Parts: sequence; structure tokens; C-alpha cells
Amino acid sequence: MAQKIIMPKQGLQMTEGTIIKWLVEEGGQVKEGDQLFEMETDKLTITIDSTATGTLLKIVHGEGDVVPIAETIAIVGETGEDFSDLLPAGESKEEAKDEAPAAAPAREPEALAIAHQGGGERRFVTPRARMRAGEKGINIDDVPGSGPEGLVIEKDVLNYAASAPKATPLAKKIAAQEGVSLADIQGTGSHGKIQAADIAAKIAARTRGAARGERLIPLTGMRKIVAERMKASLTDMAQANHRMNVDMTEAVRIREQLKASGVKVSYNDIIIRCVAKALTEFPMMNSSMTDDGIVVKEYVNVGMAVAVENGLIVPVIKDADLMTLQEIGACSGELAAKAKENRLSPDDYTGGTFTVSNLGMFDVDSFTAVINPPEAGILAVGKIDKTPVVVNDEIVIRPIMTLSLTYDHRVVDGAPAAQFLKRIKELLQAPALLL
Amino acid sequence: MSIKTYAMAIRDTIASEMRRDENVFCMGEDIETAGGSFGCTRDLYKEFGVERVRNTPISEAGFVGAGVGAANAGMRPIVELMYWDFAYVAMDQILNQAAKIRYMFGGKAKVPMVIRGQQGIGKGNAAQHSQCPEVFFMHIPGLKVAMPSCAEDAAGLLRTAIRDDNPVAFIEHKALYFIKGEVPDDPEFMIPFGQAKIRREGSDVTIVATHLFVNRSLEAAEKLEKEGISCEVIDPRTIVPFDYDTVINSVKKTGRLVVAHEAQKTAGMGAQVVTYVQEHAFNYMDAPAQVVGAKPCPVPFNLGLETAAIPTVDDIVAAVKKTLYK
Repeated sequence: MAQKIIMPKQGLQMTEGTIIKWLVEEGGQVKEGDQLFEMETDKLTITIDSTATGTLLKIVHGEGDVVPIAETIAIVGETGEDFSDLLPAGESKEEAKDEAPAAAPAREPEALAIAHQGGGERRFVTPRARMRAGEKGINIDDVPGSGPEGLVIEKDVLNYAASAPKATPLAKKIAAQEGVSLADIQGTGSHGKIQAADIAAKIAARTRGAARGERLIPLTGMRKIVAERMKASLTDMAQANHRMNVDMTEAVRIREQLKASGVKVSYNDIIIRCVAKALTEFPMMNSSMTDDGIVVKEYVNVGMAVAVENGLIVPVIKDADLMTLQEIGACSGELAAKAKENRLSPDDYTGGTFTVSNLGMFDVDSFTAVINPPEAGILAVGKIDKTPVVVNDEIVIRPIMTLSLTYDHRVVDGAPAAQFLKRIKELLQAPALLL
Repeated sequence: MSIKTYAMAIRDTIASEMRRDENVFCMGEDIETAGGSFGCTRDLYKEFGVERVRNTPISEAGFVGAGVGAANAGMRPIVELMYWDFAYVAMDQILNQAAKIRYMFGGKAKVPMVIRGQQGIGKGNAAQHSQCPEVFFMHIPGLKVAMPSCAEDAAGLLRTAIRDDNPVAFIEHKALYFIKGEVPDDPEFMIPFGQAKIRREGSDVTIVATHLFVNRSLEAAEKLEKEGISCEVIDPRTIVPFDYDTVINSVKKTGRLVVAHEAQKTAGMGAQVVTYVQEHAFNYMDAPAQVVGAKPCPVPFNLGLETAAIPTVDDIVAAVKKTLYK
């Protein structure tokens, strides 16, 4: 009995997914629970397991297709089984169209022969050669064959790989980023291996006025989501910004004390703890503007922006207001590690009510963050810097950090937003208030 | 360790097992005072008496059947077939009785029996005394099939066969009987079934060979090494159970497979091994696998014609080169 494989819903906010890669070919065998395909969703690439056992009879949506949730993407059943009634309406018609000429007398052997010629000469490759080419990322069509009738064997792939330009992994990465072809570069490493410096020299050698091309990065996955969200944020909201300097002397002290007793927390954990407490006192900062009105949330879920390869993601510390500083520290550490390893589950990065974005480690003094919709605010955190300040009419050096609050002015006005920010400052300057 | 012939390794192992277990006894044609046509029971009657080293009439169906019955009754018979060609007379006893009884009685009846004897070419014994029928016994479920290619394996595998509670077709080779080798003296020396031996390590081509063809394959490997071709020679030692893992691992390394045996190529062991390998390691294959086996004709009496019908070292060399597109 053939079964449909549908685009699964991964997390509350998902409406569609992009199929990145099928891990089983059409005609291949799958078992329930086997890895079936990779897809990109709401900021993540994840591998989805098959929900059925049998032969993968048809892949309805190929790689790159963006598919709404619950739509049929493949059929699994027994070989030879009729599954046309399981296909979406458009598909089954197409199938029928394909079938029609097969029955018609138009399929003369001559017609087939012509079609075959049009397809170009067939190349033969041993399974092992194909496997090696796959391992080495070589396009098998580029490899000349030395076997009988041009058969491509393993040795041909190895020879081809040996003759291809060799480059260090860093050089390959830079070359890909900068759109530099390795074939144009003479390597200076041992045995002509292309070094990162060779790529840099090539880039430096680009002369003014010379014709240089462009390249297009297709908008998919995380980049696409970030682009859409950020644009929507700035288009739909009335974003305004306040800044305040915070004396972190006490926060530094409390962190040192905890460290001395074997508890590791980051400044960001301390900030999240203070933000969570302040949010309970300023519920409007913990709300969302909707078509029906302003939704004020009783729960406090603080998101923390994490930079990952080719994008960013905001894992959420749920019920942060009910956690101790140590618990926040443990939770943030785990979420950050999961984010870096692409292991976050949709529940880990949805449901946030407010976001903290910290660029202090990148030496940023202060910045304006863009709100992560549908939240009403985001706190941008700069670096902690030793700064001369006036305390009791004397100039002293204090660790100063700038907080920058972006808020949705549709929901919160300037004065309450300032009071909220001031409260975070008070808590950071007197962490004992957290107890 | 002692240096002894393959035939004496068999005789000494039988003697050691008969000393260990009074239920072990021998039956067969001319095995008593004559010591068997190839000497594998020489002088055993002197130590164990004619009750335990029993001569039988020329009646394979009868004495193989008697062996099955004795095994059912708790004895551990070693039944000698003078030539494995004669097994055809006793096929019902071997394939329908010995092989199936334990299964059909739900494990309550056992057949701890060894049927042993020699097969193959080497003496100009002609069509009815030179065949290699091992694949019949490989084909029918219920039997284990051992094919030692040297004195040490003959001893180690035979002891395992005698102590096995299932019927074992223990297939020796007449051309190997007088080849000497080192054999451990340990009366507990056993080689587990289903454990292939890599007789020679190599990197370019995997050769799987049994019996006499282990030696021929090693010779071929020597020749090929002079041409810069490195062959790995694997002796499965038992073909049921068959150690496919060792073969697969080797093919994953080399990407090329030659199976060489004296038996008919058609529907032979080679066909089975190639099928298994292509099912499990297709992606690793860099050339079609080759099977070297006998031509589809009865083994000729004339030695010149026998050589023409049975593959030679040069046939193995040619098959190896074919996998290298040479």
C-alpha cells in the first residue's frame, strides 16, 4: 500500500520548507526512521526521517523546491504499485500525459534512436570510479577514461585528482568566497600547493579599471529568512532607540566571586537575568502588536542572538525570569553550543518575547539592533571598556558598557522605554537587587 | 609443531579425537588394514580395533545411512568416501537425511557426523574419479562444508568438524595429500569454521581460491608481482559457513575480484561469491569480477586433455590482468 511522504511541520511558525537534498534516490529502498531528505526551514537545515517503509516510488518535489507544510513531496510503496491517486492533482495529470505517447504508435525505434543521439554519447564509469569522484568532489564528466571504450576507472579519477590544483582548505575557502578560480593560480607551497597567501596575492593584483564580474548567491534558507524578517521589522514597526552607559563594577565583582567559587557565568548571562527581571516589571516591553491589539505576555522568554556560519539565530531561554543566574548560565551555554553545531530544534528558537544581542566580543562600543518580530524590543549590548568617569566629583576609571534599547514605539513610548532601560542599568549596577 | 603430510595430519587428528572420545569411530571402504586408499586411516585399527575402524561393503548409500543412524543414536561417526564422486550414490542419505534431520525434528535429533574423502584431479583418474562436487553440498542447507588446502588447516578444521553437532562434508584433495606442512601437536588445536585465511596480502586484485587453487593462485601472484601487480589471496577454508566479510573487506581495498577453483565455472562457488560481492560492494568494484573454473566437460583421462579442461596458473594470471584492463 503506497504512502505519501509530506512536508513535515517543524515548529509552530513553519509554513513551508525548502528541500535541500534527497538522501535516497527514486527507486531506492527506505525504512521508516531512515534518513530520507534534508530540508531548510525557519533558519535551520535538518535531516528528516522517512515515515514509511518500501521503495521510494516517486519524488514529487525535487531539490530546491519550496514546499508548503503537509503537501505531498514523495511516495513510498511497493515497486510497480499504482500510486497515481496519491499524487497532487497537477502531478497525476502530468503522469497521464507522459503515459499517453507510450501507448501511441509514435514510439518507433527510429524515433528512439534519434532521441538517443540527441542526448550525446553515453559515458561508462565503474562504480568505484564514481564513488572516488564523489569522495573527492570531482565531476565525473570531466575525467577522461582509460579503460576499454573510454571506460572511466578508479585510476583515472585518482590521476585527475592528482593533476587538479592542490590548495589548503583555507585557500579553497577564501577562493570560493572571493570568486577566484584555483586553476588560474600558481601555488607557492610545497609541490605547488596553493596557499591562502596566493589567493590574497591574486586578489591584491586585481587592477583598477579591469573588467571584473559579479556573482549571484541564491537566496535560500537562513539568509532568506533573515532578509525577510529584518525588512518586515523595519517596514512594519515604528522603531526608536535609547542608549545608556552602565557602570559594570559590581557586575564584574559578582562574576569574579562566582568564578572563584567555581560557577562560570558570562556577562551576557548577568544581563539576561537583569533584563528578565526588568521585563516582569515593565510588561509592555514583553508584548506584541497584533491586528487585534497588543498582546501582553505573562511569560518571559529571552532570546540571545548567536552568530553562526552564514547567518544568525536566536535561541530562546524560556522562563528566564524564573531562573537563577546559574541556571541561565547553563541554559545559554547549551543553546549556544547547539546553535554552533546546527543542532537546535525548532522549540529552541521559537517563542521569544524579547531579545538580547551582544556584540561586545567584536569590540563594538554600541549599536542599534533591529527588533526580532513580533517582539516589542531588543537590547543591543556593547563592550565593557575601562573608561574615565566622574564619581563624587572625581575622575575615576570604571568598566563602562553601553546598552542600546530599540523599542516598538507603537507599543511603548519614550518615557517608559527609558525607565525600563534605567531599571536594567540599576540592576546591573547593584546586582544584589537580583537576590 | 611437527612437519607432516596433509594425509597424516588427517590421520593423526582422527586418532587424537578417537582417544579423547570413545563415541568417535570410522567407517568406510578399505579403511581397516589397508588404511584407506590414501592412507588417511593407516594403522588406526591397531590402536582402536576393528570395532572402531570398520570396513564396509561397496555400498555408499548403505554405510552413509548407517552413519546418519549412528549419529542420531549418539555416536560421532567419521564416514570415509573413497572418492567424493561416490557421494552421488548416497545423495539421499547426505542431502535428504543428514542435512535435514536436525531441522525437521525441531532440534531434538542431532547428526554429529563427518563425511570425509578426497576429490579432484592429479592422478589421471578420469571422469568418475576426478570431479569437484563441493557446490552440491554448498547448495543444500543443513551441511557445513570444509575444504582444507594445507596440512595445518586439515588438522584444525577436521577436529572442529568432529566436535560439531551438525553433519560436515569434509572435502580433501588428492593432489594435496602428500604435501607437507607444519601442524601443531596440541590435541585441542581447532580452526573455527567460517574464518577465511589471507594467504598473501596484496593491494591491486583480490583472488579467492580453494584447495589446489590456493597454491595455483599463490603461484600466479608470484608471477604477477614481477610485473608490478599485487594480489591478495584469500582461502575461505570452509565454504559453508563462508567468510564473506574477509572477501568484502579485501575487495573494498582492491576494487577487483577473481575467484579461482577447480570445479566447474558454471553455477560454481565463484558465481555465488561474485553475486554476494556485487550485492554488497558494488560501489567498490572497478572492473567486472572474473571466475576461473573448469570448462564444461567431464574431466578427461588423458593428462594433456585434463590440463586443457582445468584452469592453470596462467589462466589465473590472465583473469587478474583482465580485471586491470591489461
